[in-house]
Amino acid sequence: MEEYHRHCDEVGFNADEAHNIVKECVDGVLGGEDYNQNNINQWTASMVEQSLTHLVKLGKAYKYIVTCAVVQRSAYGFHTASSCFWDTTSDGTCTVRWENRTMNCIVNVFAIAIVL
Amino acid sequence: METEILHRPASQKEKQETPSLGANPRGPGLPLLPYRPGIPVSARRMAGSPQGPVLRAAAELASVTRESSLSVSTVSCVDEPSPRDAISRLTVRVENTYQLGPTKHFPVVTVSHILKDVLTSYLQEEKYEPEFCRQMTKTVSEVIKARVKELMISRYKLIVVTHIGQLKDQSLFIGSRCLWDPTSDTVSSYTFRNSSLFALANVYAIYSE
Repeated sequence: MEEYHRHCDEVGFNADEAHNIVKECVDGVLGGEDYNQNNINQWTASMVEQSLTHLVKLGKAYKYIVTCAVVQRSAYGFHTASSCFWDTTSDGTCTVRWENRTMNCIVNVFAIAIVL
Repeated sequence: METEILHRPASQKEKQETPSLGANPRGPGLPLLPYRPGIPVSARRMAGSPQGPVLRAAAELASVTRESSLSVSTVSCVDEPSPRDAISRLTVRVENTYQLGPTKHFPVVTVSHILKDVLTSYLQEEKYEPEFCRQMTKTVSEVIKARVKELMISRYKLIVVTHIGQLKDQSLFIGSRCLWDPTSDTVSSYTFRNSSLFALANVYAIYSE
């Protein structure tokens, strides 16, 4: 049986590409909007789903986890941290911070390579 | 298949190719030189069967070296390097386990108890302070990761995400979507609240074959 030897994973996860994709999605959904509790559910869902769809279109053999936190812009603090146990040569992460007048948005993308 | 034993000058590097059957390596028209002890010999593999003549040639070579103490022999029975060999030399080849899925599934409930434990013990009596919470987010992430690793669930990669924020009148929304194999991958989550802060911890577990 022929072994399929992948060469793309030797480069690892391309964080810049993911960053651009996610930023476009966030701009598209939240750009020009004000924080609105009624719509926030819908916005988050559509942002995350669009990011995921675009990441999949890259055609790479990765499993993706996309996390999104949208916080109303106020004088109150918010911290996020993540800790990962994975193969650093093939897996990677990317974080996009976006803000406007009324809200802050943090999107995390985690990509874990699928070994074929 | 026959092997030819030829002699070559000692300085010439031994690199074998497989000539076509019956070809005279010295060139057309020249007679093949017989084997003479004291002169470097090499064995050449004829095109065709892979292992038989090579082993025989190696055996003959071994016997040749034993007989003549003056001759310098160079082992040169090398297969043609195939692309697969090149790859296998570079990467670690692991035996096939024939395992389609995880033998032990990720224990979501156990992990959610761990999350509850860690968050409660670290944050129960704390007040929200920017510096403290910044450090605490990182610490809590690391501690949770270490505790889940101790469970020794094999072949699972872990991602721990922690959010800590001040509990006031602001509104926030946290969501996530995952593209994975739902039969083997999973997530475990816990939210902790006290009078001045809230903490959310998610553990994503991805099965890796």
